[in-house]
Formats: sequence, C-alpha cells, structure tokens
Amino acid sequence: VQLDFAAREVAIKVVYYGPALSGKTTNLLALHRRVGEGARGRLMTLETQDDRTLFFDLLPLRFRSGRGDASIRVKVFTVPGQPLHGATRRLVLQGADGVAMIADSRESETQNNAASFLDLRENLRENGLTLSKMPLVIQFNKRDLPGVRGDAELAALAAQGREPIFSAVALRDEGVIETFLATLLVTWQALDRDHGLSKRLAIDGLELVSTAARELGVDEPITEILSRRVGGPIALGSGGAA
Amino acid sequence: MRATLLDDEPRHLGDLVDAAALEELCASVERLFGVPLRVVGVGDDEPVTASPSPEVTLDVSDVEHDGRVIARVVLGPYVADGGQEIDAEAPWVRAKPTAIARIAEHVRSTLGLLLASGYKVFLTSRLHLASVREAGRDLSAKAAELDEALSRLDELERLKASFLATVSHELRTPLTSIIGYSEMLAEGIGGTLTDEQQDFVQTVRSKSLQLLDLIVKLLDLSKLEGGAATPLFAEVPLADVAAEVMTSLAASASKKGVSLDLEREAESPVVMADRERLRQIVRHLVENAIKFTEPGGDVRVSVRVVTDANADEVGHAILAPVRRAAELRVCDTGRGVPEPERTRIFDPFYQVDQSSTREHGGAGLGLAIVRRLVEAHAGAVRVEPNDPRGAVFVVQLPLARGRAAH
Repeated sequence: VQLDFAAREVAIKVVYYGPALSGKTTNLLALHRRVGEGARGRLMTLETQDDRTLFFDLLPLRFRSGRGDASIRVKVFTVPGQPLHGATRRLVLQGADGVAMIADSRESETQNNAASFLDLRENLRENGLTLSKMPLVIQFNKRDLPGVRGDAELAALAAQGREPIFSAVALRDEGVIETFLATLLVTWQALDRDHGLSKRLAIDGLELVSTAARELGVDEPITEILSRRVGGPIALGSGGAA
Repeated sequence: MRATLLDDEPRHLGDLVDAAALEELCASVERLFGVPLRVVGVGDDEPVTASPSPEVTLDVSDVEHDGRVIARVVLGPYVADGGQEIDAEAPWVRAKPTAIARIAEHVRSTLGLLLASGYKVFLTSRLHLASVREAGRDLSAKAAELDEALSRLDELERLKASFLATVSHELRTPLTSIIGYSEMLAEGIGGTLTDEQQDFVQTVRSKSLQLLDLIVKLLDLSKLEGGAATPLFAEVPLADVAAEVMTSLAASASKKGVSLDLEREAESPVVMADRERLRQIVRHLVENAIKFTEPGGDVRVSVRVVTDANADEVGHAILAPVRRAAELRVCDTGRGVPEPERTRIFDPFYQVDQSSTREHGGAGLGLAIVRRLVEAHAGAVRVEPNDPRGAVFVVQLPLARGRAAH
C-alpha cells in the first residue's frame, strides 16, 4: 500500500494468483470490460502466442470515495501461472495488499491448485509476508466445464474454511465482479486495521466497495453481491466477522 | 514503507517518452496545421506556459497519466478568430478556438498512446531486469545446494559401498558354509547322528538361518538409509497388496491360532508406490502383529481413505482435497506398546522388552525398515493403542494424483 494523506490518496495492490491457465487474465479482461471509463486505466497484458501470461497483467483502477475527496487507486496484477516463472511471481507479489486465488474447478486440477497455493505461501514468505495475515479470497473458476468438483462438495469445503469462496465462469463474466469486490473489501479491512485508513480518510470500507460496484456497473446493494459467495466469512459491519 | 519494484511510478514525462520523438511529433503537427505546438513535462521546474503578448492566446491543456497531470500540451501563440478555421499566413497564426481544441484533443490522445506504450515498456523492462537477477539468484543458490548434495552423496556412496561389500562377503559367505554343512550333517551325509546330535545340529541350522535373515534385513536397512534402493513408483491399489500379503501369511497365523481379517471399503485407495516395497511394509507389520498376538487373539487389517485436513488452515478449500491419504491399519490383540515406547520402536535394534529372558526373538529391525520404506513413499507411520488391548500400526501414504478408485 502507498499512502499519501496530504493528497488524500491510497494505492492498493491486489494480486490475482493461481495455477497456469486458471483464468487470471480472463478475470482481469472481464473487469476491464465492465468498469466505467472514469475509473479504468489502460489494461496491460503481456501474453505470448499460446495465451500465457509472460510477466504479468496490470489493470489500474481508480475510485473516488463517496464523499469525493479521497482517491483510491487499485492496481490489479496477475502473475504468470506456469511453474517456470517463479521469480516473476515473487516480484509481482512484492508489496501485495490482498490476493485473489483463482483456482480451476476441475478435479483433475486439484493438485495444480494446491501446488500453486503452496507456491503462493512460499513466495509471500520470501517477500517477508505471511499467508495467514494476507487478505485472501478464493475463486473456483470454470464452473461450466465437465469434471468439476460438485457444488455441494465445494459448499462444504467453503463452510469449513476461513476465507470467502466464490464460484465463477470468468469467460462469461460470472463471479468476476463478486470476487473482485470481496477481495477489495477484505484488503481494505486489513489495511484499515493496520493504518486506520477509514478514520484518517473518512471512508468506510463498505462505502468504498459500493462505489467500486457502481463503477463496475452493478447497482445492487453490496451485501447482496457479496452474499452470492459459496461460503466463508466476510465481515460486513465495522468490526468482527459476520 | 518498503518501496517495491512495480509500485515505483514514473512521474516525469521523460521517463516514458523519448524527447527527440516528441519533438518530431510537435514538428509534424505544426507542419500539418500550421499552429506551433510544444509538449512540456510537469515536474520540479515548471516551464513557462504564459502567453507572450496580450493580443495572442496560448491553448494549454493537461495530459494525465494514471490520474496525475504529467505533461501540458501548449498550442500557439495564436489569435482567436471567428472567421477562417486556421490562417497560418498571418503574422500571428489566426484560428478558431474550436479548431485549436480539436488539434489539442488529437495531440493529447496521441500522447496518451505514447505514454501507455512507454509505461508498458517501462514496467516490462524493469521487471525483466529484476527477473533475470532473481533467476540468477535462484540458480546460484540451487547450484550451491547441488554441489553440497553431490559431495555428500559421493561420501555416502563410498561408505555404503565398502560397508555393503564387507557385510555381504565377510558375514554371508561363512554363514552359507555353516548352514550348508549343518544341513549335510542333519541329512546324515557325514554318518548317522544320535538324537541328541540331531537336535544340536538342527539348532545350529535354525539359528544360522535366523542370523542370515538378520543380515539380509540389515543389508536392506543400509540400502534404504544410503538411498541405494531406488523405488520404482507406479499406481498400486493398497488393499490388493494387503490381500496378497495376508494370503501368504494365512498359514502361519492359523498355525499359531491367530485369526487374520482384512477390511476394505468401497472406495479403495490407489497409492504411488513401489509394489515390492509396499508388500514389504505390509508384510513386516502383519508378521509383527501375528508374532505378538497370543493364540486365540486376532489380527485385523483395514485399508481406507482418510482426510487429514485442518479446517483452520488458510486455503482449506484448495488444500483439503489433496490432504486425503490412504491409510493402512494393522490391529493386534497383543500386549500393546506403552506410551513412552511409541516413537522409539521405529529405531533400529530397539526392543520394548530388552530383558535377556524376553519371549520374542528378532533384532528390532522390522519396524525400522518399515519406517524407512514408508518415508521413502512420502508417508508416515505411527502406533496407537488398540481397545481393549493390543496395538494398532497406522501407515498413511499419499494417494496417487489425490484420487481413489471407486
């Protein structure tokens, strides 16, 4: 996070992590399509011929707080998923404030998801960060494909776990905004705890995420959007988990 | 706050756009429309963008990059005139403000594209350099690890080779002769023996066989410790291996009056294992259980899939499916293993009953071999008490590809 209280500006870094070809860039493209002109920067993707991210993708977003005078910049990065780009993943994770883990729902990808998640833990550690303290949202993408882990099983896993879980079909924009807003909210809440952002900038986390939702073309109440998760806790009040 | 690679933003025009190229752009616009154009960076020393004379105008507009004004587009000086669109022939260029606005918009959008490409190149090249440095760091760390591992392996290899050669030759060769000659004696080849002599010779023979078995186990253990025995991994249904072993041990169990049962569940776990080694694991454990179970007691073996996941772990939903493991339980109704002994029984040569009068033989190598073999399969072995009496040996092995056959 970069804080500039004089300019009333906060820059937040969110990283989309996950195994190769799980749909991280697809999530970013969908976000980019949905976000209004006023909030979006130019999406930068560096992909090779076979659709694989080489270094990273970056979608810069900018939201103004409800009362208008504070500016929240969100930089959404993706990492290259292929195992060989470990060094790049480590670099992209530097200074990350929140992580969205994009998993492939197919049962055949179970091991790859887990390997990528353990790789995330290791790379955070190399950057002096702890996974258990990192705001985290998990998305199970590609729900439309055959051979995916069943809804009931996913719900059971989500109910046991500690982090919010969303299901998605990123190619059809399903679940993309939900995942992003939840990640933004849990990230804001963690930064707020550490830096007292809400108080110093007079912005409420839910209000910020509601603004972001409107910029993404969603008019529903934020609680409605977040309730579409498969499971896992999200704190909706000013404190404590819901 | 720690400055990081990708958050370090370029804030000056010169960081993103080549100055010479920008001059060319300005010159080309001026040639095209006849209106002087300058693009100035916004930074520490703000250049003058005030109009040089009261009768002429400068059109100044901001160019943003990532929400910040990074440059100004300065068109003119020109005289605002409602008549002609642009008259470049007059002493001061005369132009309609709307025409100037259109040109400014065109320049700003062109510059926007240049800035975006510049930014992309800026980020990419920074990351590229850093990646190369990181990759270099990784490689040199790995090279150092490999060097160290290699010299360790060389040393081990040397020790192991000499030890194995010594044991194989110096112990096994004389033992083979002892066994051979005592068998010949027992068969009466050297003349008829009295009953007492026959008894003695049989004792020599059976003790020698026991010693040979011990040496074979020792060799096995040392091979495992030295990493000489490379397992050949394949997908193996654990319950099938258990069934095979139990069939082969059925006779000795029934001879002792111990009942032997296998329980298998519908979901039969498939493990990545060296089939022969896996059989050895099961065999050692079941033999052990039969050995320590009194006649009339029973030995039950079960095979199932268990989940060893902790819901409190971060990323439970991702990790739980791979935390599933195959479990083999060997339950006996013997004397059990007291709490303090439960980890030590897997040490080589350790015996729970170390008195000279202990009723069961053996060198205390079977369980040590089991542990080494299980560890070579990335698994774990432990012992628990059985209810109401006896011990349960539990082996957990990773499932092949996190799946189980139905």
